[in-house]
Amino acid sequence: MYRNLTSPEINILEKQGNEAEDWRNVQVKDGFNAYAVKNTQFDGEVKLGVFTKKLEVEGDIVKKSGIFNSFISNCIIGDNTRISKVNILSNYIIGNNTVIENAGSVFVDKESTFGNGAEIDVLNEGGGRELPIFDQLSSQIASILVLHRHDTELIKKLKEIISNYTRQKKSDQGYIGSNVKIIDTTFIKNVFVDDFTVITGALNLNEGTIRSAEESPAVIGGGVIAKEFIVLSGSVIDSGAIITSSFIGQGVQIGKQYSAVGSAFFANSEAFHGEACSLFAGPYTVTHHKSSLLIAGMFSFYNAGSGSNQSNHMYKLGPNHQGIVERGSKTGSLSYMLWPCKVGPFSVVMGKHPGNFDASEFPFSYLNVVDGKSVLTPAMNLFTVGTRRDSVKWPKRDRRKDPVKYDLIHFDFLNPFIIERVVNASNLLNNLLEKTPREREYISYKGIHILRLMLRTTRKYYEMFIKLYIAEEIKKRIGDITSYSSFDKILAKLNPDVECAEGPWIDVGGMYAPDQILQEMLDDIKTGNLTTVDMLHKRFNEIFSNYKNFSWNWCAQLIEQRLNISVNSLGPENLIEIINEGLVNKIKLNNMILKDAEKEFDPNSKTGFGYLNDNNIKDADFESVRGTYEKNSFVNEILAESELKKAEVSVFTEHLKLFS
Amino acid sequence: MEKEEVKNKVKKVVAQVLKIDQSEVEDDSNFIFDLGADSMQSIQLVAAFEEEFNIEMDEDEAVAVQTISEAVDFISGYLN
Repeated sequence: MYRNLTSPEINILEKQGNEAEDWRNVQVKDGFNAYAVKNTQFDGEVKLGVFTKKLEVEGDIVKKSGIFNSFISNCIIGDNTRISKVNILSNYIIGNNTVIENAGSVFVDKESTFGNGAEIDVLNEGGGRELPIFDQLSSQIASILVLHRHDTELIKKLKEIISNYTRQKKSDQGYIGSNVKIIDTTFIKNVFVDDFTVITGALNLNEGTIRSAEESPAVIGGGVIAKEFIVLSGSVIDSGAIITSSFIGQGVQIGKQYSAVGSAFFANSEAFHGEACSLFAGPYTVTHHKSSLLIAGMFSFYNAGSGSNQSNHMYKLGPNHQGIVERGSKTGSLSYMLWPCKVGPFSVVMGKHPGNFDASEFPFSYLNVVDGKSVLTPAMNLFTVGTRRDSVKWPKRDRRKDPVKYDLIHFDFLNPFIIERVVNASNLLNNLLEKTPREREYISYKGIHILRLMLRTTRKYYEMFIKLYIAEEIKKRIGDITSYSSFDKILAKLNPDVECAEGPWIDVGGMYAPDQILQEMLDDIKTGNLTTVDMLHKRFNEIFSNYKNFSWNWCAQLIEQRLNISVNSLGPENLIEIINEGLVNKIKLNNMILKDAEKEFDPNSKTGFGYLNDNNIKDADFESVRGTYEKNSFVNEILAESELKKAEVSVFTEHLKLFS
Repeated sequence: MEKEEVKNKVKKVVAQVLKIDQSEVEDDSNFIFDLGADSMQSIQLVAAFEEEFNIEMDEDEAVAVQTISEAVDFISGYLN
C-alpha cells in the first residue's frame, strides 16, 4: 500500500523546504502529492496518504489538505488530512480528513493505556472504593464497583475483567482518528482521540481517551486542562475546566472553570463554576453555581443550589466520611451537610445541617434546620411543582445521540424502587405514630427529627401516592380496555410474565432492578460466567429491558399484600374500585400541585415587581413578565392531565361494567 | 361545636404552630401573607387542625384553605 518516494518527489519536497534524515524512512501512498507538503521536518518512520482535497477547518473556512510548517516523527498520516503549524507530532496514527493546526506538542512518549485502567477515589476520598475508569464504563458497572465492596470476590473478578479490557488499550503509538479537528491547542500527550472529536484551544491534555461518534462528537474547548481522564461521546468540556483523574460519561457538560478531581460524571451531568472532589455524579447530576462543592458523595438526578456544600473533614483517621443523596434530590442555596449523611429519593435539603443523619427511608421529604436540629417533613415534596417538572424534563434532556449508550436509565416516576420506599415509609410513620406519646413535640430517628404532629398527615400523602401508583400500573398493564372481549382476557393480561423477582428494588446507577436479579448477575461474574466487558453490558441490557415485567410482577405482589387478593382473583368490581380510587388520589395530588403553582402568582411573588410602589403597576408588571396563573402552560398541562385521567377512567369503568 | 368555639380553637392552633402570639391572629388573617406561614407550616396547620378537632380533612381541599375564617368554615363542615 505504501511505497518509497521517487527522486522527483524528493526533489520537490526539498525545494519546498522539507527535510528528512533519510527520505527512505518516508513512505507514501500512490497518488501522493509532494506539492502539498511544505517546510516540514520528518523524523523516524513516517507514512503519508494522498492530499488531493480541501477540508473545512473552522466554520466555513476551507483549506488544502497537506502538511505545512510542522515536525513529524514516527507517524502515519491519513488521506486528505491537514497538518499545519504543529511544533511536534510524534508517535501517532492519524486518520483521514483530519485537521491539526496551530498546535504545540502532540505526542506519545511511552507505552500508555491512554487513561484506561486508572483508578480514581470516588465517593470515599480516603480510598477503599477505587473505580477503574475506561472508555466503556457505564454508571451500572461503576455503581457495582463502588457500592459492592462487601463482596471482595466480586470486586476482584470485576477488576480482572476491566484489567483484561484496558490491557488491550496499551500501545506506544497513539491514535487521532478521522474527521478530527485539533486547533489552537498547546499540549497533547498520550491521548487517544477518536474519530469526529473536536479539540479547540485546549491547554494541556495528558494521559486520556476521548471517544466520539459521528452523531455525537466530544468537544474539548478553550483553556481545558485534563490529566488522567476518559471523556465519552457527546460531552463538552470547555471554558477553563480543570479535570484530574476523572471520568466524563456521555452527554456531559463541564465548563466555566469547573474543577474536578477523582470524580466520575455519568450521562447528561452538568458541572459549571464549582468544584468536585471524589464525586460519583450519577446520571443527570447538575451543579451550575459558584461556591458549590460536591465532595465524597454519590448523587443522581440532582440539582445543587448555589453554595451547596458538604464536608468530610470531621475525621480522625483521614477524610473517610461519605454521603449518598439518592435520585431526584436537591440541595438549597447555601445548604450544608456534614458527612456521613444519606438523603432519600426526591428530597430537598435546606439549611446548614450540623449533625449526621440517615433520612433515606423517607422519600419526597423536606429536610431543613430548626433550632439547630435536622427536621424532616416526610412526603412534602410529593406535591410540589419542582418534583413534577423534574420528572418530565429529564427524558427530554437526554443529550446522548451516540447509537451506543452506556448508561441505562429508567425515567419512570412511578416505579417499584420509589413505591417500595413509600410503602416502607408509610409503615414506619405508622409505627412511630403508635409509639409516640401525644405530648412529644418531635420524635428522633437516625439523626433526624420529625414533628409528631406530621406523622399521621404525611402518612396519608404517602398512602395517596401508593393508591395512585397501583391504579396507574393496572391501567398501563391492561392498555386499551376496549379491545378486551372478556374479563378472562383481562385477567390473563394481569397475570405476571416473569417469575417472582424479590426486592428490595435498587437504583443501579439510574437503572431500576430487583436486587435478586442483580445478585444473579453478580453471581455469574463470580462464577466466571460473565468474563468480558461486553458480557457485562449485555446482561445489564437484559435486566434493563425486562424492567416492565419485573415492575408489574412487583406491583401484582403489592396489590395482593394490600388488598388480600391476588391479581388472578380480581373481579371487575375490584378493578373499578381500584382504578377510581387511583383517580381520586391523582386528582387530589394534581390539585395540591396546582396549589403549589398558585404560590408563584400570589402577592408575595410580586414583591420587587413594578418600578413604583403602586399595586396597579406592580400587577401589570408581574403579568407582563410572568403571565397569569390561568394562562400558565404548566398549570394548563396539569388541568388537562386531570381531565384526561377522568376520561380514561370513565372508559375503563364503563367497559369493566360490561363484565360485571 | 359552636362556630365561635371553633374559631377560638383555630386561632389557638395557628398561634401554636406558627409560634406567634394569639393576639396577632385576626378573623381574616391569611396564613401566608399575614402570619408568615411557609409551605411546611401550611401542612403542619392541616395536621394540627386534624388532631385538635379529631377529624380527617380532605387533602387537597385542606391545603386550599388560606385564612382563619375559611379554616373555621371548613372545619365546621366536618364537625357538623
